[in-house]
Order: sequence, then C-alpha cells, then structure tokens
Amino acid sequence: MSTAIATKPILDVRDLTKSFVLHNIDGRTVTGLHNVSFTVEPGQHLALAGTSGAGKSTLLRAIYRTYAPSSGEVWFRLSDDSVVNLAQISDPEIVALRGRQIGYVSQFLRAQPRRSVLDLVIRAGVSRGMNVVDARELGILSLRRLNIGEQLWDVHTSVLSGGEKQRVNIAAGLISPPRLLLLDEPVSALDPENRESAIQLISELTHQGVAVLAVFHDLDAIARLATQIVVMQKGRIINNGPVDQILPQLHPGDVQP
Amino acid sequence: MSKIVIPDSVLKVSGLGKIYGPITDGAIERTGSQVGTARDHQTGSIVAAWDVNFEVAAGEALGIVGESGSGKSTVLRCIAGDIDSSVGDVRLSTFENGEANLLTLDAATRRKMRIDQLSVVYQDPAEGLSLGVTAGGNIADPLTAAGWRNFEGIRVRARDLLQRTEVPLDRMDDIVRSFSGGMRQRVQIARALANNPRLVLLDEPTTGLDASVAAGVLDLIRGLLEEFELAAIVVSHDFSVIEMLTERCIVMHHGRVVENALTDQLLEDPHHPYSQKLVSAARA
Amino acid sequence: MTMNAVHNGSHLDSIVGEDPGIPFALLDEESKREIRRALLHAVCVPGYQVPFGSREMPVARGWGSGGLQITLAIVGKTDIVKVIDQGDDEGVNAVNLRRLVVTSTGIEESTEVVESTIIQSRHRIPEDEMINSHTLVLQVPVPEPLRGVERDMRELARMHSEADYSRMWVSLYEDKVRNGVITQTTGYPCLVNGRYVVATTPIPRWDIPRLHDSQFLTLFGAGREKRVYAIPPYTLVEPLTFEDVPFEVEQANGAQCRLCSSSESFLVESPGTNGDAGTWTCSDTAWCRARRIK
Repeated sequence: MSTAIATKPILDVRDLTKSFVLHNIDGRTVTGLHNVSFTVEPGQHLALAGTSGAGKSTLLRAIYRTYAPSSGEVWFRLSDDSVVNLAQISDPEIVALRGRQIGYVSQFLRAQPRRSVLDLVIRAGVSRGMNVVDARELGILSLRRLNIGEQLWDVHTSVLSGGEKQRVNIAAGLISPPRLLLLDEPVSALDPENRESAIQLISELTHQGVAVLAVFHDLDAIARLATQIVVMQKGRIINNGPVDQILPQLHPGDVQP
Repeated sequence: MSKIVIPDSVLKVSGLGKIYGPITDGAIERTGSQVGTARDHQTGSIVAAWDVNFEVAAGEALGIVGESGSGKSTVLRCIAGDIDSSVGDVRLSTFENGEANLLTLDAATRRKMRIDQLSVVYQDPAEGLSLGVTAGGNIADPLTAAGWRNFEGIRVRARDLLQRTEVPLDRMDDIVRSFSGGMRQRVQIARALANNPRLVLLDEPTTGLDASVAAGVLDLIRGLLEEFELAAIVVSHDFSVIEMLTERCIVMHHGRVVENALTDQLLEDPHHPYSQKLVSAARA
Repeated sequence: MTMNAVHNGSHLDSIVGEDPGIPFALLDEESKREIRRALLHAVCVPGYQVPFGSREMPVARGWGSGGLQITLAIVGKTDIVKVIDQGDDEGVNAVNLRRLVVTSTGIEESTEVVESTIIQSRHRIPEDEMINSHTLVLQVPVPEPLRGVERDMRELARMHSEADYSRMWVSLYEDKVRNGVITQTTGYPCLVNGRYVVATTPIPRWDIPRLHDSQFLTLFGAGREKRVYAIPPYTLVEPLTFEDVPFEVEQANGAQCRLCSSSESFLVESPGTNGDAGTWTCSDTAWCRARRIK
C-alpha cells in the first residue's frame, strides 16, 4: 500500500465516511462525514474551517477512532515509515499509537484529577520516549512560556481554573510532540495574553515537522498558524488549499464553533 | 502486518461460559441479548455467561460494563476461581508459562496461584478481608502465605503498602472492622497488591462508597495500575469508573458480550442497541 | 459389662487372665488393634491427626481418655508404666489412670523415668533424660492447632492438606502486635517434619525443645476429639515463630526450687500468703525428690 502514497504524507484520508445508526431513535441513520479525502504532510498545519455542525470535530474524532469510521481509509505513516489504516487496526494497536504517535488536544483537560501539573507534563514526554530529566526540563520551559507559575507545578490539575487547565493541556500535548497532532479548539478558554503564548508554541510545531490538524473558532488563529485550510460543510469537504488562497474567502461566521 | 508494537497479553480468556442447570445447545439458542433473557424457559437453565473472549496486556485495564445480572461479575469470578465455570480457557502468561488453563486447576493449585499471580478486590471488603484482624494482619496473611517469616520485614512491607494506599499508619494496628467503608477498601487494595500480582480483578470497587470517597479510591487505583504495570479487569455498572480506569472495555447483556470497544468510543459512538441504551441512560 | 466390673469395686488384679469377659488392658483386641493401626498411620505421617474410634472409658472424656486408650493399646506384659499429672506422680488423675493401667494389665509401675517404658502425661515431659526405649503418651484436650483461627472442620482439613498455615501466622503476628511478645504459653504450635502444624497441648514452652530430634517416640491422644497423632524419634520439630522473634522458653528469673534449690528445671509458683512473695517448686516431683536424696 505504501507505493500508493507518493508524497509521503503523515496522514492520508480517503473517502472517510462516518454515519451513526441510532437504534433507539427509530433506527435512523445520521451521517457525520461523507467521503472525506485529504492529506497532511510533515510540517503542514491543516486548519479545518466550517460552521457549527460541518463535521470538523467529527473528523478529528474519526481519525482518533473515538468514532469508529463507517467506511473509507485513514492511512497513517508510523515513525518507521510504514503505513497503517487507522480505520482498520485493532483496538490495542490504537491504544498503543494514542498519545505516543498521535496526539489529541481538546479544549478540555482530561487527566487523573490528583496528578500534579508538572508530573502530568513529564509523563506525557516520557510516554513519547523522552527521559525524565529532559522531559522535566522541557516541561518546565513550556509551562513557563504558557505562564503557569512555579506555585502551580505541584498542585493537582483538578484545582486549576479552566484557562489554566487548557494551558497545562497544551504543555502536555506539545512536549516532544507526536507525529500527528489533532487540536480541537485548544485555546478557546484563554485570555488574549495567554492565547498569544499558546499560539506561539503551536506555531513552532510546523518547524519540528509535526503534522497538525486543527479546529479553531477564530480566523486570526487560522491566519497565523495554518499552512493549509480545509473548508467543510454538512460533513463534506467543499474547499481545500493553501492558506493564502482560501483565507480571503472565509468569513468569521465560517469558523464559529 | 503493521509495525505497531503492542504489549504482550498477560491474560487470555477464550470461550468462557457459565451455565446454571443443564447445558444444551437449545439453552444457548434460547437465551442471550437478542432473545432478551439469560434464562432458558424450556430447561430452566440460566446462561450467566457465554462465549466470552478477550485479552488483557500488562499495564492495561479492561472494563466490563453491563447492568446487574448481565454476567459481568460471573466472568470475573470464573477467572478468579471463586465459582466454577462450565466451559472455557483462561491463561495467565506469567503462570506455568501460560500453559495451564486456570479454569481446570485443582483447588490447592488455584489457591497457590492466587497468592502471587492474581488478586481480587471485591465490592464488599468483608469478602476480601478478615474484619476482626488488624490492617497490618490482613496484609501479613498473603505475605506469610508466600513464605514471609520475618516479623519486621512484614511490618515494613505492610507499612509501605498502607502508605501507598493512603491508609493512615497510626491505624495499621487497628482491626479493620473499626474502619470506614472507603478505608476498608484501601486496605483491601493494599492486601491485593501484597505479593505483586500480575493481574488484579476489581469487582465494583467503589460501588457503595460516598461519591467523594469513591473518587479518592478511583484515583488511587488508577495510579497503582500505572505504577505497578498491572493487568486489570474492572467490572462496574458505572461508566465514570470505566472511563477513569480503562482504555478498552466490553459490554455484557444477558450473559453475552454485545460490544467490544475502545472506552472513549463506547461512550461517544456506541454501536449495539443495548450499548446505546446503556450510554444514553448514563448520560441522562 | 467390663465397666460394671470396675464400678462394682472388684479386684481387677485378681480377675486379669481369669475372667474371659475382661481382656488384658481392658480393651478388646479389635479395639486395641484399631488404635494401633491409627498410631502406625500417625507415626508414618508425623504430625498428621489420624481419626480413631474413641471408646467409652472408665474415665470421663477430657480426663485423659485419649492418652489412656493409647497406653492400653500399646502396653505389653513387660512394660513399666509411669503416669504424671502436672509433673506429679501423685496427682489424683495420675493415680487413677495409673491404677487402671496396672490393675488391668498386671504390669509394673514406677515413678522413675529410667525404669519406665511408657510414660503417660498431660502437662509435662519429665525433666530426666528419655531415650529410645521410652514412649511418651500425651493426653490432648484440643488436638487442632488451628481451632483458634478456624472453626469449620472442612476448611481445617483443607488448610492442613494444603499446608496453608498463613492464618496461624497471622494470629502470631496479631499476638505480637497487640502484646509486644507472642503470648501463647502452653500448647505452642509446632511444625513437625516441615509439614504439619500440631498442637503441643498443653505442655509448656519449656518442654518444646525436648520434642525436637528426640530419641523417644511421642504419641498424642485426644479421646473427646477422637484423634491421635505422633512425633516419631529424630523428627524435626520447629515452634512456629518469626525469624526475628526468637522462640523462648519460660524463665523464672533466677528463682530456685524451695525444696531442692534447682534453677534448671521447670518451676511452678505457689502464691505467698498475706502478701508475701510466692515460692517456687519443681513441677517434676520425682526429679525434685531424686535431687534432694543426692
């Protein structure tokens, strides 16, 4: 199959369709994604645009397998350059890839409530192959950059404010970043100053060769971060191209959550 | 073949079944999720669990969800040997090189296996603890069974385990009957970990505890599973427990496995009609 | 019928060998053979409690009927019997049991260990050296060492069969935690031949080391509980204790026997009167007497 991927993208989504059969609501079928196809290459930042219900989050979840794809293929290139179809591999294989090769940073921090902030970030780094000393050093650096002061490092994440949680989530998600990063409105709860630091950190990912697939609810973030834009509507891709080509056609309403 | 490295499975369960009453093909056909009952009206047999298959790796927790009577505790108790199963094959890679079927062990061998291979944390601490014995004595039990004969050594180990399970050390020499429910559960967990088992079976470990106490115990279990790289099975009717502790789970209904999924997928995108009902009920 | 003969106050020594209704050593041959078979089983599996059909005896169960049945089952015409109670040959129970053995067999009795071949006792092992010509018969009230930790008979049988003694260890652990020391004095549990835990009931700790690697055979009989068990000569007998909590025998802290000045025998204290300090005497009266004569 690898011969089919000429440009060596990290993610190659082909005809991805996701429908939900609601057995308990007269068995009706709701389709969230219709034959979605696109690729993301190393160092590309692909922003998903579209109004609420367009299928942006559904797409991220179907790639991460929080939703089980109904049909289509999701080819992912592993660190050893082989490719696997995320839509087909076993649950334990997905578990093995999650967090290590594929990251998912949502707007909510989901962590063990009583884990300390710094510990959480260090563990994220260690799970991606860093040693503890490096993970600690780098973790502290990004926590500082995200304005999470030393007094918060040893407190449990459960006591943090929404904005603090989101920043800790970014620090953990971006340390020794995985090959593919799925960002679902990661800066939605941040004030302008902290949002600025977060965007700065995310922008550095492209230089590290990470493939990013992101949903933001403001055009400013897209303008500053994206290299590519995919515009979605009713579960289909209606436009796909480089940022300078697509961005001028977008209105703020096109990216509302 | 993909190049994804997945951890070797510690536990392999194949074709596990437990039937109360005559075992006939008809009884199997006339029961199950689709029929809507575990009881065969023709023979009176109860098919408590049938055709259950799964694997659990080191450092992984597998959830078993379902309402009461779905067979989830039956599966757990069959694996532990607390009840005899009717059919099936259960292997622990760390026991007899995975060559022994746990279901057919004689009682003495099974008891020995449970000293350091497999521990159960029961919903009711009275089932896993001697309430008239001190917290330390309850830990001394599995330790002495494993051959520990040094009093100070046992004390040090018990202290360490109680500390990890957040039982105040000044309660170590109090009898467990004087402990609160949450504290008893912590002692039970400490005892279950005494001989570094490879597999821990948790049967509704926080059911019956106050919400805040339950949250603390869940935190503890989650941390310990990670720290000791344990393989675990978590049986619960409570999705928040399953969500917190497991990455994968199976759904049981009238003795059958109706869905086998990633835990987040089960919660966000359940497939089987029964799973959908269960999830939407939990959300409500 | 046999019982009636005793209770009627007949002279047993005159009827032994004359009245065919009263066999040698009271018990009929079948009964003795059954007890001996149980004893052989017990010797073959040291420490294992062998059930036997305990007979009605002319002493109440709990008063040494188990030990008595063993003695009567193994006694031969050339044996010499010594019976003690609390180390005393003249204790009422000792006298009664000894008289019963002697009159029903016509054999010799003695208070001297060196002269005796069968020594029946309840609370003590005589201080004097015992060799391979001796058989020690101990009367046992509670033969089950695990009785304190488990009541269910089937579970007890399982624990013994699997050598699952962890709950015994837990009880020793709890004892040490609660009291700072292991408080069990008489009947201290011992592991026999590395396999079975037995109740060394109710001899004091002082006598426990005598059971280990002994030259003599020890037979335990529990009449009420219908069990016999044995420690054959030269058998490993280890008191259950933690590696770092040494097994210790009772110490009288420098006390001496007020009769023979012994400080190297097992001493028992008699309370003093009017608040005076108590006095100590040897528990083994025959040994004490011999020392005084020397």
